[in-house]
Amino acid sequence: MAVITSTSGPAPAPIPPPGPVAAPTPASSPQRTPRLRTVPGRIRAGAGVAVLAVGLLSALMGVALGHAGDGLRTIGHTAGPQVVATADLYYALSDMDAQVATVLLAGEEGGPSRKAALDRYDQRRAQADSAVLQAADLARGDPTGQATVRAVLDGLGRYERLVSRALLLDEQSPHVPGPPSQPALDAYRQATDLMRLDLLPKAYNLTLDSGTVVRHAYAAESSAVLVGRFWVALGGALALAVLAALQVFLARRFRRAINPALLAATIVVGVLTVAGVLVLQRAADELRVAKEDGFDSVLVLSRARAIGNSLHGDESRYLLDPQRADTYEQVYLDKSQSVLYVPAGNLDKYYAAVDRAVAAFPGEADFLGFYGSEADRVTVPGQRETLAKVLTHYQQFQHDDRRMRQLATAGKKSDAVRQAMGASFGAYDDTLVELTALRRQAFGAAVAAGNRALDGWDLLLPGAAVVAGLLILVGVRPRLAEYR
Amino acid sequence: MVTLTGTGRLRRASALVLLGAVALFSVPACAAGSSILDKDSLVIGVKPDQPGLGMKDADGEFTGFDVDVAAYIARKLGKSARFVATPSSEREKALMEGSVDLVVATYSITPERKTKVAFGGPYYVAHQDTLVRAGESGIAGVRALKGRKLCQVTGSNSWRRVKEERKIAVELVEAASYSECISDLNAGKVDAVSTDDLILAGFATPDLKIVNAPFSDERYGVGIQAGDLDGCEAVNKAITEMYLDGTAKNLLQKWFAKSGLALTFTVPQFEGCG
Repeated sequence: MAVITSTSGPAPAPIPPPGPVAAPTPASSPQRTPRLRTVPGRIRAGAGVAVLAVGLLSALMGVALGHAGDGLRTIGHTAGPQVVATADLYYALSDMDAQVATVLLAGEEGGPSRKAALDRYDQRRAQADSAVLQAADLARGDPTGQATVRAVLDGLGRYERLVSRALLLDEQSPHVPGPPSQPALDAYRQATDLMRLDLLPKAYNLTLDSGTVVRHAYAAESSAVLVGRFWVALGGALALAVLAALQVFLARRFRRAINPALLAATIVVGVLTVAGVLVLQRAADELRVAKEDGFDSVLVLSRARAIGNSLHGDESRYLLDPQRADTYEQVYLDKSQSVLYVPAGNLDKYYAAVDRAVAAFPGEADFLGFYGSEADRVTVPGQRETLAKVLTHYQQFQHDDRRMRQLATAGKKSDAVRQAMGASFGAYDDTLVELTALRRQAFGAAVAAGNRALDGWDLLLPGAAVVAGLLILVGVRPRLAEYR
Repeated sequence: MVTLTGTGRLRRASALVLLGAVALFSVPACAAGSSILDKDSLVIGVKPDQPGLGMKDADGEFTGFDVDVAAYIARKLGKSARFVATPSSEREKALMEGSVDLVVATYSITPERKTKVAFGGPYYVAHQDTLVRAGESGIAGVRALKGRKLCQVTGSNSWRRVKEERKIAVELVEAASYSECISDLNAGKVDAVSTDDLILAGFATPDLKIVNAPFSDERYGVGIQAGDLDGCEAVNKAITEMYLDGTAKNLLQKWFAKSGLALTFTVPQFEGCG
């Protein structure tokens, strides 16, 4: 630093060659040697260094703005949305299995709901296929991730074969709403085990993996932006110091007042530096909001929705397979607790604890799990109210679950099936989608605001740098002319 | 600046401006704590007294499924591993203090624990199951325990899952440890022992059999200091690879196949590090 500032001073300091390329020589006269001993030589050198400093500043700023743009693109437009799409993979897969359970449970009499469930199964299968493609795209460059994607694809093929067999066997022995024939049940058991023990865990891990990809990209880009902001400030300070030194040199040498063109160049550089630092700060802030208030939350809520959906599936499976009812009930409790955790050793205690926790909200959020982490991070307007609505519907869903289990234990099988297929899950799921949409909006808004802040800089930055450079040349030109 | 006369001052002033800029805009240092990835060697907490999972032998060496899994993870992370015995009650404390880097000790992931430490994995989902004498034919599932004698280990919660959660009217017989339960079972003092299947499998002998009627999920996680996201993600990746390259299957069979337990050879659903 000291070396560079000294070039502009008159002291005969050890000076690096001031760049014959950058120092423009408008006069056609041949150069005198050695250049820095003469006044015009020093003026040229000073102007050259000043132009270089402005060039350096604009390069630093360009790099930092590039990182900000990359960060916003990764989070907002490529990896971010892809991660959310892979979260949908889990949802699609678990809903496929839930729909098969519904079909088998509905039996002959449940004609319309059977048909609707089959349609939904096809829909989810298409959704799962496209989500697998997104996951494969995200896993590029990660052999472990790619192997997992391949395993999911293979497994999905096997799953569909097992489901077709279960459905075929079920059609061969019509039954009332409730458990299907033993052969159909056996085939379904294989299918659901493959889904729940093999495919769903892999799909879930893929989502976590791709969340990692985004987290790393975010950490790298956001720290690059912050580091860039520092370098821009430093580069700006350097350019200003060079310009001030040139100004002082000219004023003393030629006994003149301020050089207006150089002053203008100084102002342009000063404004550019301050604006650059501010815009980088702004971009970094929006990037953080998009990641922490938008992306992270959307991901947590997608997981809550996916797990919630498999909860509903566990209700059907509980009714479908009496021999495994205990396991499905336990799994139901475990999953419920990962969605909304309140300490409870069994379902009866859980229902009661949920009632208490939901009644206390939003006064206090005395629960953990996905909704606990969502309640901890209230940053979006309307989020608290929507979350309260989600919790109320969740409570209603759990109430209905309790009723369903009471009916089942009392032997009223078809009443229990009707109860399990009731509307409370759909209503709960709808409010959860509403809450996710709120978060998605915040995410989109932050990305858009970040992009707006960066907007125009691709022209503004080189424009301002060129103007500052020209002003420097215009400022020194009359002084050089005096020696011609 | 115009009033400055000496070049020295000018230089000093410029330097000050630059220093000021450095001070004003200095990059915030990474606030995150240390990661296990920064270490060359890992201290891993395991169980000293759980046959098949973590057992300290006469030479002071640790053996078992948990120990092998921990060694695999350390190898995948490119670290050397040193094992220490970590009592169940001190697992959170040891991780929070940093006296161990990882805990691989039949450490179930629970929301309460997650408020204090983070979990990689689970590396296996164990299930509560029931161990009976090989000649027993009347017990096919947990419901069949009604009216039968179930071993109750002081300090363990497993019997609650039967008697309180499932509301099955069992007759409880107290014992100090699972080893004592096993000898009681062999001696006919109790009819069944019910706890995590991997723990039961560690005790299995030809005279005993596991019913293979699981009724709960116990997700065994790799305990790690909260906030070490990079470390936790690296552990998850290592576990994924352990299942992909067949090591998990080999290890599970090596330690538990002879018990006749139905094992799962596919990667479990991870808890997530964030």
